[in-house]
Amino acid sequence: MIATQLKYDLLMFSRELFYVVFTLIVPPVTYLFMGSLYGGFTYAGNLSYAESYTPSFILLITFGVVFFAFGFDQVTNRVSGVEKRIALAPVSRRTILISGILKSIIITSFGYIFVSLIGVMAYDLTFEINNALQSFGLFMLLNAVLLIISSAIYSFFKTINGALVFSIVTFQVVLFTGGFAMPIDRMPAFVQTIAAVNPLYHMNQLFISVWNGQFQLERTSLISLAYIGLCVILALFALRFATRYRSSM
Amino acid sequence: MEIVKVEGLRKSYAAKEVLKGIDFCAEAGDIIGVIGKNGAGKSTFLEILLTLRSYRHGTVHLFGQELNEASEKQRGQIRQQLSAVLQPTQFYRTLKVIELLKLFKVYYKSPLDVEKIMADFKLDDHRKTYFDKLSGGWKQIVSLAIAFLAAPKMLILDEPTTGLDPHMRNMLWTYITDYNKRTGGTVILTTHNMDEVELYCDRVMLLNDGVAEVFDTTGRILESGYKSIHDFYITQVAK
Repeated sequence: MIATQLKYDLLMFSRELFYVVFTLIVPPVTYLFMGSLYGGFTYAGNLSYAESYTPSFILLITFGVVFFAFGFDQVTNRVSGVEKRIALAPVSRRTILISGILKSIIITSFGYIFVSLIGVMAYDLTFEINNALQSFGLFMLLNAVLLIISSAIYSFFKTINGALVFSIVTFQVVLFTGGFAMPIDRMPAFVQTIAAVNPLYHMNQLFISVWNGQFQLERTSLISLAYIGLCVILALFALRFATRYRSSM
Repeated sequence: MEIVKVEGLRKSYAAKEVLKGIDFCAEAGDIIGVIGKNGAGKSTFLEILLTLRSYRHGTVHLFGQELNEASEKQRGQIRQQLSAVLQPTQFYRTLKVIELLKLFKVYYKSPLDVEKIMADFKLDDHRKTYFDKLSGGWKQIVSLAIAFLAAPKMLILDEPTTGLDPHMRNMLWTYITDYNKRTGGTVILTTHNMDEVELYCDRVMLLNDGVAEVFDTTGRILESGYKSIHDFYITQVAK
């Protein structure tokens, strides 16, 4: 049953122009556009544009897929009544959830490969096998973190319009304060403040360091790990609260 | 054979009590209309029967199993035997009609042939139409086709004919009554169309402000002096 559900979940994703544009078209195009502007610069850790921004844009795709095609989709199904109709069918919530998670992993992995290939072809990006394996492992972990946070956030939305506005605004905020557009240390002070509380910024910094074999357990990385951990714990509490509230209805 | 037995059912949303002690029963093969004003508690009552809503007071037995005492597995087994047309009718909007039927066939592990259902419900012209692009009437027909695909022992319909033109309404009722005669399945429905209740329902439950004021056969209601079920309804809700 999971295979059938997954097949149709992927089919539905491919038919949602809004999802495809925001997740699989905008990030790679922005990656190429930014590269044409700032490709020759050197970034923190003495990294080239491709070394610094390839993991960033992979993470941006992951964020887009998980927030739009997983979280926002949940709101759409809940508000429109689809969730209620599916709940009535003898298919377990677990099957629907596992299929949703697998869908996200497949699409984000496609994004991972897609952006990496662009990096290889356009910016001569190279890989070191050990770093590549560790990066993919962290990428899966970040996928799980984003799935939990997105489920928790979207469980509170009661209208599609509210969720849509939130999604678009969040995408912009994440783009500019997550270190995906320009280095945060070159941004105004208020952007740096927002970045410090943006979990995507911390995930991005960790992902860049692991991708390039520069990860070390020091103050900055520990703060990022602790902050992401805190966000996951809060999200799990929120999810538990939302689930209890819904089952009491 | 008793399919549904409800005793002393109460349901509240926060401080507002919407069902105030409902007693109800349905036998195999019954067609029962649940009528009442908007906000009388009809949809809540049906959603409890559909295992979609919880309740704290009273008992609800479906196919002999009390819902509050049922495990997740037992609830799954109950859901296997019932199906519904909900209000509003919604399915995955970017799936085509044929894809929806195939997906739900897997959900219900249905032995029925999807192509036969497509033919029975005259859905061939809409085979490749996205659910979202169908008219309201065809959405209802697709919903009903999916409900029948489940080969249910009990069918619950929440205002199934609302917004349909007379032709579509007639078509929908033909399918419902055929199903009822052919399989002996139980049908419980809500509607605001009293002519439909008079024509097709064996029994009627009138809900008023969460209370089941009348639960009787249409025949006995008419014999008690009302010109029609419409007349009965207007008189009762005006009290």
